[in-house]
Amino acid sequence: MEELILELKEHIIDALNLEEITPEDIDNDAPLFGDGLGLDSIDALELIVILDRYYGIKLANPAEGKAIFKSITTIAEYVVANRTK
Amino acid sequence: MISVLATNIVSPLGYTTDENYRAVREHRSKLARYESWRGVPEAFVASVFDEKQRSELMIEGYTILESVAIRSIADALAGCRIDVHSPRTKFILSTTKANVDELSSCAEHDANYIAPGALARKVAAYFGFKSEPVVVCNACISGMDAQLLAHRLLSSGEYDHAVVCGVDMVTPFVIAGFLSFKSMSLDECRPFDIERTGLNVGEAAATIIFGRNVDDDTPRWQLLSGAMSNDAYHLSAPAPKGDGAYRAMCSALGSYDANLLALISTHGTATMFNDQMESKAIERANLLAVPITALKGYYGHTLGAAGVVEPIINMRSLDDGLVLGVRGFDELGVSAKVDVSAKERSTDKQSFLKMISGFGGCNGALLYAKQRGEHTPTIERHKLNTRHRVVITPEKVVVDSDELNVSVSGKALLTEIYKNHIGDYPKYYKMDALSKVLFVASELLMQRFCCECEGKRSSMIIFNSSSSIVSDRKHIATFERSDEFYPSPSIFIGTLPNIALGEFAIKHNCTGETSLYILESRSDALMAEVVESAMSQSDTDIMLTGWVDCSSEDSFEAELVILTK
Repeated sequence: MEELILELKEHIIDALNLEEITPEDIDNDAPLFGDGLGLDSIDALELIVILDRYYGIKLANPAEGKAIFKSITTIAEYVVANRTK
Repeated sequence: MISVLATNIVSPLGYTTDENYRAVREHRSKLARYESWRGVPEAFVASVFDEKQRSELMIEGYTILESVAIRSIADALAGCRIDVHSPRTKFILSTTKANVDELSSCAEHDANYIAPGALARKVAAYFGFKSEPVVVCNACISGMDAQLLAHRLLSSGEYDHAVVCGVDMVTPFVIAGFLSFKSMSLDECRPFDIERTGLNVGEAAATIIFGRNVDDDTPRWQLLSGAMSNDAYHLSAPAPKGDGAYRAMCSALGSYDANLLALISTHGTATMFNDQMESKAIERANLLAVPITALKGYYGHTLGAAGVVEPIINMRSLDDGLVLGVRGFDELGVSAKVDVSAKERSTDKQSFLKMISGFGGCNGALLYAKQRGEHTPTIERHKLNTRHRVVITPEKVVVDSDELNVSVSGKALLTEIYKNHIGDYPKYYKMDALSKVLFVASELLMQRFCCECEGKRSSMIIFNSSSSIVSDRKHIATFERSDEFYPSPSIFIGTLPNIALGEFAIKHNCTGETSLYILESRSDALMAEVVESAMSQSDTDIMLTGWVDCSSEDSFEAELVILTK
């Protein structure tokens, strides 16, 4: 799990161009949207691409992302349960 | 008075305005579902030319996009008598992605050959247009923006005629982009319907030829006025209450009696957000009693052509006293009770409002009426005051007469300036290459000026020649291989060069117009003509304008000024 969490953070930092932020800066349970990293709706779509590209999970409906993308932990749990690669 | 002299639409529904109008009246559409189309591994619905049509339309030595544009312009020119060789005839091309489909197969050094400016020159040369063409590349509102530009240039007396052609093709490039935004419907789109699930894309070219102070007594369609306004809200999502759309509509309508409107021609893309936002804007403008139309259920979203195709169909239907039915509509699914119907209705009114909105937060509206023309005097161009100027090259940054200290060059120079002189805006790192150049240039200007902005209406008109070539190449790399098909929404959005202006609008709450125009090469005289006519004929107080070009991450040039009246 810890390995997956680190990998997820690296993918997110890379895809969202979170310059000057390291994996250690991201709290596993802090909200990603709103206060936390201040991500917006385009970033949410970018997270959908990460799920598809690295874990073979296809989210057809972006609305499903809301619950999944709450925090790094919720994403990791979802990946563990649904990954196809 | 700016009159419509001739029109044409070349689409999968036909090659003339009348063929298209007949198809729409008969509720026909070429929308169809495609699976594994040109290597796109996901299904989508689009309106595209079939093989037979492509071979009929193709002109040897030209791309399919060029061929379709040329056929559209040729048919419109055949419908009126104007002197194409006169320097007083302007050619304006509206396109979001021009020949981008050729980019993936072309060598690095050929990129200029397929650039939007080169496309416009090639089409202009086919007909022998003498004046320098302008390409309007303002996302989905390009077709509307191009007509407003024509209106301004004609009104200022510089030209007698303007030929406005909007054209875009369905390509893996745009399909991949819209797929990454999850905004495409897997069924035929359903504008304003409760079960709408997104948009379809379509391809078309459409042409309107405008003339100024045309002498005759017969009532003709006139483009009375138009306006643009940025939401200053989000790069891809419209302001929920349609702020910019509402402002653009009110400005375009001015003191015109809304009781005379036969219809409002909506953008009606059938995405959840767009249709809802438009309904709110119509409600806020007190126009709920006016019937609305939406044509995407016939054509799909034809991108840079949409703002030209749709008013042509509206004009043609009102010639017959009809408000056309909305294909795909059944039950109202927006919160403001707009007057929409699947069936055609009759009307004796002869004017309408066209609404349109696009990525980058831009919105526009045009007002058309069929009436006898009145001669109108030319609107003199204001002489403008240049308040501040910034010049950026990969080696140097100069603000007014002060050269800033820099220790690096190229892309790193921009980041150094950001860190040392701007800072505190982490979104900077997410921006595409062109947006970064414009961001740094405009921030340096605003630092010297912002105290004077209070309560003023600001606009931005940017010119370049490379469009969004850096992002275009990046985006292509995300979908080229169908087994590695992962288009990225944040890269795709950068392939609309006007996004750079949207960033500025959001940061500075700039609610005036934001336009991006492409020229084959920099022409200060033409840029002044465009900007001065825009300032003279709108309520803009402050204009940020100039040349901002970025041909690779490390090669860019910007010369940006702040102008006041």
